Amino acid sequence: MKALDQTSSLFWLLVSLSVFIESLRLGIGTLHNPGRGFLTFGASGILGILSLILFLQASLKKEEVKAQPFFAGPLWKRILLVLIVLILYSRLMPVLGYLISTFLLMTSLFLILERKKILFVFVSSILTTVVTYFVFSKWLNCQFPDGLFGF
Amino acid sequence: MGFFDNILYGFQVTFQPINILFCAIGVLVGTLVGVLPGIGPAGAMALLLPATFRFSPTSTIILLAGIYYGVQYGGSTTSILVNIPGEASSVITCIDGYQMARQGRAGPALGIAAWGSFIAGTIANLGLMLVAIPLARAALSFGPPEYFALMCTGLIIVTYLAQGSILRALMMALVGIILGSIGLDVITGLPRFTFGINELTDGVGIIPLVMGLFGISEIFVNLEESLEREIFKTRIKNLWPSLKDWAQAKWAIVRGSIIGFLLGILPGGGAVISTFVAYAVEKKVAKQPERFGKGAIEGVAGPESANNAAAGGSLIPLLSLGIPPNPIMAIFFSALMIHGIQPGPLLIKQNPDLFWGLVASLYMGNALLLILNLPLISMWVKVLKIPYKLLFPLILLFCLIGAYSLNNVTFDLYVMIFFGVVGWMMRKFGYEGAPLILAYVLGPMLENALRQSLLISQGSFMIFITRPISAMALGFAFLLLLSNLFPYFKRQRKKYEEFKE
Repeated sequence: MKALDQTSSLFWLLVSLSVFIESLRLGIGTLHNPGRGFLTFGASGILGILSLILFLQASLKKEEVKAQPFFAGPLWKRILLVLIVLILYSRLMPVLGYLISTFLLMTSLFLILERKKILFVFVSSILTTVVTYFVFSKWLNCQFPDGLFGF
Repeated sequence: MGFFDNILYGFQVTFQPINILFCAIGVLVGTLVGVLPGIGPAGAMALLLPATFRFSPTSTIILLAGIYYGVQYGGSTTSILVNIPGEASSVITCIDGYQMARQGRAGPALGIAAWGSFIAGTIANLGLMLVAIPLARAALSFGPPEYFALMCTGLIIVTYLAQGSILRALMMALVGIILGSIGLDVITGLPRFTFGINELTDGVGIIPLVMGLFGISEIFVNLEESLEREIFKTRIKNLWPSLKDWAQAKWAIVRGSIIGFLLGILPGGGAVISTFVAYAVEKKVAKQPERFGKGAIEGVAGPESANNAAAGGSLIPLLSLGIPPNPIMAIFFSALMIHGIQPGPLLIKQNPDLFWGLVASLYMGNALLLILNLPLISMWVKVLKIPYKLLFPLILLFCLIGAYSLNNVTFDLYVMIFFGVVGWMMRKFGYEGAPLILAYVLGPMLENALRQSLLISQGSFMIFITRPISAMALGFAFLLLLSNLFPYFKRQRKKYEEFKE
């Protein structure tokens, strides 16, 4: 916990410093007429102080810093794969349209989680894509992109 | 109109077919979300919100309210049958609920949870009617300094009641304020913290933010672990608790309802905290406290009543002051704003159909939960058996659709994914999302109130001390912060954290 607290407090300290500098650039105004950086100036200032306190608290703890794996289980690589798939989906949806991109998304997600049953993956992906398209696009009037192929 | 005329008017609104349908959908979706892991009430509301744009604000709020208390109900099913809480507010139900299931008493446990929720929901609803209107009237005399002080106090209470360290919760509240300031400055109309990205001029959307922090991050956490789970095999019979069960549970339900309602009004994790307090109280007043942890029905009845009553109580600050006390109410707040309704003291006067319709829908929703869910328990058990491998891709897709359909821009998808990763990291490092979301919503209002107060006082902070309500609110917040420095309060807090673990 000590190492985690030290790392996170330094991260928030960095964030607070960046916001603090940007607030000054935006202009904090005066007490009579506060500027657009006024609140964030105060908030980032306090955040910086609290981050420092957390860092000091963590550093003064007597607990030994142990080298422990940050990720809880052996399966954290799945998260990385899911993350890549999600980013690709966001990128491809306007280009390929909802139907194709969602089919690809679901196929990838099902494959990441259930590698063996290809038929199950294929049928589930088609079903999910078609059902969600009709429910959200046709019934609830959500505006999905048509993409290059017009569907 | 008199009090009873208003209630009748509310029922007229609620009994419109579209509102009955929305209430039924809400409680069913809520129960489903409560049963399933991964999406949570805030995520579910965020997902359905874009679909409600073409319906009236009243129907939308009835739907969202249905989801909210449906979740409280659904969470208990998994706690009792699987020993896995569907929601944080059902954690404590696992202790005695699961033990009851192991002893072949899953039926009475589920039954008393449902009846307790129904009775508590009804009591909280009465409280809502009695408290919200006078509070809204009183709030009409509030100016920017009072609002600033109340919001500050709200944020301090949220951080004080946070599940982890107060320091980290305070930090998250400040990060929320900073996030809330992204976009156009209301007074000057100039952009800030947009980094030249056009989509950020409207600020960070609450839907992708909530879905990322609560929905996507929850899935990431689950993905790290094994996706297999065991369901305790038991026959569910005798859903109607016996007379002995009723005799043991009746006062637990009443106490749980009162505790839940009062704590629900407070900013912070009302529903969650109230279940822990209700359980602790039941254990304290029990003649045989050693029964707790071994299948005591009061250990189910008290917390389950408390979380439903808290759901009703938490509507009070939103509807009468326009201040959301928890992240779920923040979604309500956003839903009202999207539909062009300003939450605050004038809401009840200007939108009586919405307020009284909501109140009546709470009665109807509680009754629907009982009528629909007790016979449907076997269906919810089947839902529990859906493998995670099938469930998670679906939840991810729903999150993507929900985030996209609000503005129909892919930028919101990136925002959601980004906050999904942030939320996952926050969990790893022990930071909570609730103070961040609440501060994000309150931030712009807080800033307006602060700047207006300083304009009124010509730059003097004394305005917050010379006005009695703001002085009392800020004084209370200060004392709350200070109390954590005293060893007694530290010990109590540590005890509370140990108890929760």
